[in-house]
Amino acid sequence: MSNSREKILAAVKANQPEELPLPDVPAFTGDGSLEKFTTILEGIGGKVVPIRGITHLDVVVQELFPTDERVASTLMASSVLVDAQTPIEVLAAVDIAVLQGEFGVAENGTIWLPEANMLNRALPMITQHLVLVLDHKQIVPTMHQAYAKLGSVGDYGIFLAGPSKTADIEQSLVIGAHGARSLTVLLV
Amino acid sequence: MSHSQRSDIFLLDAERTTWHDETLWFVRQKRDKAVYALPEFQDLRELASQIKNHTLSKLDHYLVQFEEAATRNGVQVHWAADAAEHNAIVLGLIRKHNATRVVKSKSMLTEECHLNPHLIKNGIEVIDTDLGERIIQMREEAPSHVVLPAIHLKKEDVGDTFHIHLGTTKGNNDPQQLTEAARQHLREKFLAGEVAISGVNFAIAETGSVVVCTNEGNADLGVNLAKVHIACMGMEKLIPRLSDLSVFTRVLTRSATGQPVTTYTSHFTKPAPGKEMHIVIVDNGRTKQLGRPDFRASLKCIRCGACMNTCPVYRRSGGHSYDFTIPGPIGAILSPNIDMRKHASLPFASTLCGSCTDVCPVKIDIHTQLYKWRQVLAAEGEIPASKKWSMRLLSSVLSRPGMYGLGGKMARQGLRFLPHGLTHAKGYNPWAIARELPEPPKQSFREWYEQQQKVK
Amino acid sequence: MLLTASEAKNERMKVGLFIPCYVDQFYPQVGIATLQLLEKLGVKAHFPKQQTCCGQPMANSGCEQDAIPVYHNFVDTFQDYDYVVGPAGSCVYHVRKHFNIIDQTPKVEHVRENTRELFDFLINVLGVTDIPGSFPYKVGLHLSCHGQRGLHQANESEMTPVRDGQLKRLLTSMKGLEFTELDRNDECCGFGGTFCVSEAGISARMGQDRVKDHVRNGTQVLTGGDMSCLMHLEGIIRRGKLPIKVMHAAEILNGAIL
Repeated sequence: MSNSREKILAAVKANQPEELPLPDVPAFTGDGSLEKFTTILEGIGGKVVPIRGITHLDVVVQELFPTDERVASTLMASSVLVDAQTPIEVLAAVDIAVLQGEFGVAENGTIWLPEANMLNRALPMITQHLVLVLDHKQIVPTMHQAYAKLGSVGDYGIFLAGPSKTADIEQSLVIGAHGARSLTVLLV
Repeated sequence: MSHSQRSDIFLLDAERTTWHDETLWFVRQKRDKAVYALPEFQDLRELASQIKNHTLSKLDHYLVQFEEAATRNGVQVHWAADAAEHNAIVLGLIRKHNATRVVKSKSMLTEECHLNPHLIKNGIEVIDTDLGERIIQMREEAPSHVVLPAIHLKKEDVGDTFHIHLGTTKGNNDPQQLTEAARQHLREKFLAGEVAISGVNFAIAETGSVVVCTNEGNADLGVNLAKVHIACMGMEKLIPRLSDLSVFTRVLTRSATGQPVTTYTSHFTKPAPGKEMHIVIVDNGRTKQLGRPDFRASLKCIRCGACMNTCPVYRRSGGHSYDFTIPGPIGAILSPNIDMRKHASLPFASTLCGSCTDVCPVKIDIHTQLYKWRQVLAAEGEIPASKKWSMRLLSSVLSRPGMYGLGGKMARQGLRFLPHGLTHAKGYNPWAIARELPEPPKQSFREWYEQQQKVK
Repeated sequence: MLLTASEAKNERMKVGLFIPCYVDQFYPQVGIATLQLLEKLGVKAHFPKQQTCCGQPMANSGCEQDAIPVYHNFVDTFQDYDYVVGPAGSCVYHVRKHFNIIDQTPKVEHVRENTRELFDFLINVLGVTDIPGSFPYKVGLHLSCHGQRGLHQANESEMTPVRDGQLKRLLTSMKGLEFTELDRNDECCGFGGTFCVSEAGISARMGQDRVKDHVRNGTQVLTGGDMSCLMHLEGIIRRGKLPIKVMHAAEILNGAIL
């Protein structure tokens, strides 16, 4: 095995060209408005709902999902307790996960969700519906500002843009492939 | 069979060819819309190209840097010289964990290595979890596109397949309902998966992270529910810095489907506590391609599929006509590196129109490489002898002006006086199958010109 | 009659007329139109008769080594001209791009640099901005890939939605001329040189689709700057007995100037 490593590295060294320069990436910027973020996110199937604050999050969630009961959250009273060790069967039964999004990117409607905010790495995907709370001031214009702001991606983290979707059958867009069937962003 | 022979089979169903062409053209138009809306798109292409060029020029350095960072993160890094070694490593890891149930998200590399048949042969259940991949897995077909693996199928085909394999109602061809059936079916597989295999879109040398981009969320779901994550990557997936991702995430999906970004752009750096993460770095011909100056730029490819969507040949011949894991223009410049004889017809499956080069988000000079592969193939004796000799003959005529003038005159006279049925016979004049020959004029331009000169 | 300074310059310019082999043999009227159009614009072009071909058929088949004597014949034929002008973007592109495999002597460099596609020459060397005349037809403009993407004579849909280009601008000055708005402005016609026989099925299908776009959108006259694409499209139009006339743009422009 290590034999292949040495063999590959030697072949790479022998075959790669003279060093070419690594360019600096200029800080392209753009419209970083909440309006742009909202328009783009809604265009890719997300729902954006402004709320007053997170004190009555349970009421908001109840209004949005009147028939779903099993909620896992770091931000409100949970009916399902989830942590990194939660068994799969319990995770699979979660209807709604309500989590904190770190910041949004206006150009593509994506939201940074680090592992620290997930309760369990599988939760944002396995839940039927995902709700992310986002500070409306935390919007950056483009991915350049997004990665600059991040500095580190931590152990695991996702840029998440809308609900799970697919167009694998005849290019027909279907929302709700394997991950969450819906994404609601609560703007505070 | 050559590409043109396989294309002729595809073309037999004219209506389906129209549908296939229009469906992919629609994707190309979505790409255009997204590209036009971003003023700096051409600058981003140039940056993406330069970052990849730089990475390939210091690949040995970045591979080692990546390995060191990943190892520090608690990830186990493996090296595979070829497909067989890759498959052996993956099987070994699965066996080590006494696992039999594997879920796999999209990875063109594992397709290239034919991992699935290897695992199945060894008693492992491997389930492709990307919807398109799952559909073709059930049908025992190869993907026909790198991003849209089941784009050659119509919803009726999928309806039939799901009726047989998932028990959906016969005649139910509704994409929404078929997707829901697949969701239920695959949930069970996700929950039961012991080992998750994923592909890699980008590997970041400075952090040791791998980045996986999906719309369905299947990679994250599979990886985060399983005990073991095996990420398989070609060695060309490296980029130097985390910040370089800003460039690549901006061009990848806009080029691929016209989306501003994939739904999930997931960064896997360390395994979750109590779990394992492995990365298999694969060569399988890549170092050889790196050593071909005319063709090494093909290793910059980020597998967006834009060259397929724009290619007027691909759209009308289908991905399977290429008979290679990566179809379309990029496949036609990658495949001869792997097996020159088998794929000799692919670089000729192009009009060299150049549209592929113009959409490529990392600026691979695809159509120039197609032209150059033709030269290599001819030099290596991999083009038909009849073509070679007729080109020799043509050259000897065209480098002798006198012979050319005479030959041209004879050909024209022949066309003028031979019966239409003979000059347009399908057996030996492929031009005439669908086209009329030009009406031969009495006089060539040069004859007219000479006459004019005399008059003057 | 006195000449303006630019007319005098045009008269003094030594221009070699490059008539590609298939135009010479099958479309002499395109060569004639090119010669006459240049003359009307004050350029006396000369046709050196030892010219044959640019060598593209061999090179695109993978046999560029076999094309080398043809390249040399081309360079020797045209080395003494200030410009080499031809009514075929694809052949011009081949000379400019692919003659790089022979020794780059001063004469080779000179010929490569100064071989120009006809309309590129009219606009960028002669400074022609419009051609007075009328052509009261609905005209479908076929962009040759090598002219457009290779020589950058027209905008590319891969880059911009703006449909602009050299030939379009020249034709716009014709009175009564209306352009066909095509569904796909710059899709390849499928000719592709030897591709048209080695991949005959796909080539024909691409051409048929291109022609349908013109039929659907009302083209009466199909034109372009590259006779090879037009030869292929004409073959399909004639096979289908369709009411579309195919003309090289040099014929339209030459016919307009009286």
